[in-house]
Parts: sequence; structure tokens; C-alpha cells
Amino acid sequence: MASDASSKDFPTMRGRAWQFGDNVPTDQIVATAVVMSPMEVVLKHVLEELKPEFPGSVRQGDIIVAGDHFGQSSGRGVAAKAIQAAGVACIAAESFARTFLRNCYEIGLPIIECPGAGRLARDGEIVSVDLVSGVVRNETTGATLKARPVEPFLLTMLKAGGIIPLVKKSGPDLGFKDR
Amino acid sequence: MNMIEKILAKRSGRNKVAPGEVVVCEVDCALLHDLSARSCRLVFENKMGGTIAHPERIVTVFDHKFSSPSEEKAIALQGTREFCYRHGMPLHDCGSGNIHNVAVQMGHIRPGDLVVGSDSHSPVQGVMGTFCASLGNDSYAATVMPHSKAWFRVPETIRVELTGTTRPGTTARDVALWLCSVIGEGKVNYQAIKFCGEYIDSLPLWDRWLFTLMAVDVGAKAAYVEPDKTTLDFCDSLGLAGCEVEKDDPGTTFIADWKWDVSDLEPQICFPPTVGNVAPIRKYAGTPIQYAELGGHGGGRLLDVEMAARVLAKKPKQERVKFNVVPGSRHVFSMAAKSGDVALLHERGATWFPASTGSNQAVNMGAMAAGETMISTHVRNFPGRNGSPKANMFLASALSVAAAATAGKIIDPREFL
Repeated sequence: MASDASSKDFPTMRGRAWQFGDNVPTDQIVATAVVMSPMEVVLKHVLEELKPEFPGSVRQGDIIVAGDHFGQSSGRGVAAKAIQAAGVACIAAESFARTFLRNCYEIGLPIIECPGAGRLARDGEIVSVDLVSGVVRNETTGATLKARPVEPFLLTMLKAGGIIPLVKKSGPDLGFKDR
Repeated sequence: MNMIEKILAKRSGRNKVAPGEVVVCEVDCALLHDLSARSCRLVFENKMGGTIAHPERIVTVFDHKFSSPSEEKAIALQGTREFCYRHGMPLHDCGSGNIHNVAVQMGHIRPGDLVVGSDSHSPVQGVMGTFCASLGNDSYAATVMPHSKAWFRVPETIRVELTGTTRPGTTARDVALWLCSVIGEGKVNYQAIKFCGEYIDSLPLWDRWLFTLMAVDVGAKAAYVEPDKTTLDFCDSLGLAGCEVEKDDPGTTFIADWKWDVSDLEPQICFPPTVGNVAPIRKYAGTPIQYAELGGHGGGRLLDVEMAARVLAKKPKQERVKFNVVPGSRHVFSMAAKSGDVALLHERGATWFPASTGSNQAVNMGAMAAGETMISTHVRNFPGRNGSPKANMFLASALSVAAAATAGKIIDPREFL
């Protein structure tokens, strides 16, 4: 299916990097102890086990760069929602666990698979991500990577703002019957 | 097409699907546990509302909590309970067992079905000849609950063939743990796995279960065993009739064919901090443990209880170990009570807990202090899942867990053969 989304829908994102390693489990994004807490409580603990300074220092528009299999383990939706609510604009990782990937696009949080992302930037360096061209760049060092293309349906969902706005706009078949 | 492609085609109203296509499918059964049912309910009520298309297909199992440990948790369960009652959705309340075991045991999973689950280990249900993948809250709220539908990207499928016969003391759980490490965590992301070969064929359904169970840990979206006589006999034992079984088309090809011989495999152990760390258990022999547990997604089967009973019949639990036994379903407890294993394990020092998911994430039990160590049949060992991030979780077979419970330390379970 072709996407109805184009580059003008997704301007290049530019933000401060937060670097994480391989196989980050959702248990360490949002610990079970706060899974049922209100988002303002969750935000005080998001990713704190891996980077204690993250909850206090993350800012709107920051970008996470990570290694392989980011978001593995439990399929808890709050992991993606907490990263989004913390202000993170995008995650670029070598690969994602599939439920986490699905959860991110379904809430309108762009993420992109990019070989080399785990070593692209250190905390605080400026990173830019162009979802449509797939260019992921460390603006501080000049290092540039090429991401894998995003599945067109995911861009359609992202443009709508997530799966709930999409189903309200396009109906139970998410627009597939009309294409 | 292979079995899961045929199910995806049938349920999306197409004659054919191919890997990479995105399709919207009718859902036959959707599983939720107490944690995810609450979040799905809140998203559905706050952002969608309206009616549930097929309430009889939305199955909830309260498994992380076998009882309410606090008023806050009681309120959460109460809200979900009332939501299920109001919409007429089946609810297996506290004490029913583990979500995956209950779903099968209570006849909600039928070969040929398209199943979704909120729990990340949902691909386990492919053992019944289904297509089953995990979905998050917003998929449930947006399409599964209101329309009984879900979107999927058709995965590529890898064929994993296991041959040979294991040695005494090496159980299906040891083979599954080892396989997770040889394939590698996250190494087959977004793909599906077909498990086959003479070793898989020789196993009872509840042992095949351990293979589709581990699929998510190597990144797979779905996994399956083609239904055969073992599957259909199991369906008969549950009273399921009229299943529309799907199988691979003759001559089906796969994106990769991997083959391993399991004949020389020793008993294995998965060591902290992640599920891909697996070694022969003798390398960790002597490690002191304070807790041993049969339970969780990888344990609590009748087979596990029987293995533990054989071990504890020879030697009682070591005095300082806390040995928890958590049946995967009420059926398991019932059968173990009839066989005498409930009394035997109790009298030899084990503690029975209500049918549930046990110490999974320490929601209801199983939290440890820094420096404490548990060996269990659970499926995950990430830091912080069981209390202190400085506690250690080792994963092994029921045989190895029970053997450790008698010794107070990790030992090679073959001394109990």
C-alpha cells in the first residue's frame, strides 16, 4: 500500500541525543512498580534505572539513539507512552522489539531503524532525523547514517496521529478497503 | 503459503498474502491479563467508547494478582471486572491461573484461529496451530474491541528443525533455553518461526509449548507447530470439535531453514541479566539460592509438578530455601491433588500458591532483596523484575529448579535420575 504521507508531513527532527545500548527491556523503561501509576509519577522514573539523570533532564524534542532490539520484553504500552510524554521526539535504533515498534507508531511516536544508531552519538550531542529520506545525522560530529525505509502504512498512521485517530478517520479497515 | 499465511489470508478475505504485505484481519480470540486489561479498558473508555463487536472473543484472565494486595489494586481489578461483566466478556478471575495456560485449558484457542494477546509471550498459542501475535493497548482499543479486527504485516517465516533424542535429565525446557541463546535475542525480529522435526514431533503438546513460548525472546512475531495427531488429540481432550485446521501448502519454502540436533545437549541454565545468556548448568553449580519457583509462563504445567515431585520424593527441600509451586491453571492443581503430588510436595517443604502467573514481575509475590537469588521456570530475568535490580534470577527446567531446592544451591539435576 502506498502512503498518503509525504516529506512535508514530516519535517526533519533535530534534538539532543540520549544514547542507550542493546536489548533495553520495557521493564527498564517503565518499571512494574509504577506501571499503574498516573503518567506524572511514571515520568519521574522513566528510564531511570539505565540513566538516573534521564527523568530530570530530558527535554521536549530530545532524540534517543540505541542499539539492537530496543523495547524488548513486556509489551506494556506505557513504555512507549512514557517516552513520548517525556518529550522525546523520535527514537533511532539499530532495531526494535516488534510490539514496542507497533506501540510507538500506534500512539504517533516516530521511530526509525538505522544501522549504526547505537554508536552514532553520545548524550547531549545534536542529532537530526529525516523520517522520509531516512537520513540520520550527528550534527555535532557530522557522522551520517542511512536508515531503513519506514513501512508506508506506518507513515499513514503517524500522519493521522496514531491508530485511534486513523480508525476514526478511515474506519475499521483502516483505509485498506478503499485502496 | 505456509500455515500462518493461510490464516492471515483467510481472515483478511484474500486468496493469497505474501510476506511484507499489510492486511487487516478478523480476530477470533483476544487475550488480556489483569495489567493489560486495565490499560486497554482505560484507552477504550477514554478515547473510543461504544460497544464491543464480539464480547465473547475478548478473554480476560486475572493472573498477575491471585488476590488484591492493596486497595489500589482492588480498585483496578474491580474496574476491569465490572467492564467485563457490563460487556459480557469472559473473565477468569483471580486464582484461575496463568493467562496462556488458562486460555488453552478453557478451550478459547482453536487450531486455525487468528488470536491476539496483550502479553508479549502470546506467540506461544501458535503451538495449537494458530496465528497468534502480541498487540498493545491502542490496537485493542481502536480495532480489536470495537471491530474485532487488527492489522498485521505478513511476516517472513524461518523453519527451525530439531532432530535427535535428548539424554536423560535434559528436558524440553533445557532445549528451549539453549535454542534462545543459539538463535540470539532479537535476532529474528518481525519474523515468524515454524518449529518442526522429529524431536518436536515426539513431544507432548505441553512440551512443544516451551518452543513457541520462547519465540518472542529471539524477536519473533509469531511461531507455530503444524497441527498433527498430538494437537488434535489434545483438542479432543478439551472437548473442542469442528476446528478448521490449516497446514503448510505442499512445497512451501521458507526464508531460512535452520537445523539442530539436540542429542548431546546437557541440562542448561539461563543466567542474569538477560534471556540470551545460557550455559550448561554445571558451570553454575554451587551458586547459593534462597528461592526456587515452579511457575510463570515457562512452568506450572502438570509436567513440571510431576518432575518436582519425583525429585522431592528422593530428598526434601533444603531448610533455608523458599520453594514456591504455582500451578499454571486450576486444572493442574486438580490433577496434582488427585495424583498425590500436592500432598507430597507440601510435606517435603514446598509451598503451594494459587494458580496464577506466580512471581512474574513480583506483582503479587516473589520480590527479592539485593543479593538474593532465585532459580525458576519463569521466562525472564531482567534486573528489577523481581524486586531489587541487584537480585539475581536464574531460569531453568522444573527438574533443575526442584534439584536446587533440595540442595540450597544450583546443582546438576542428573544426580536425581
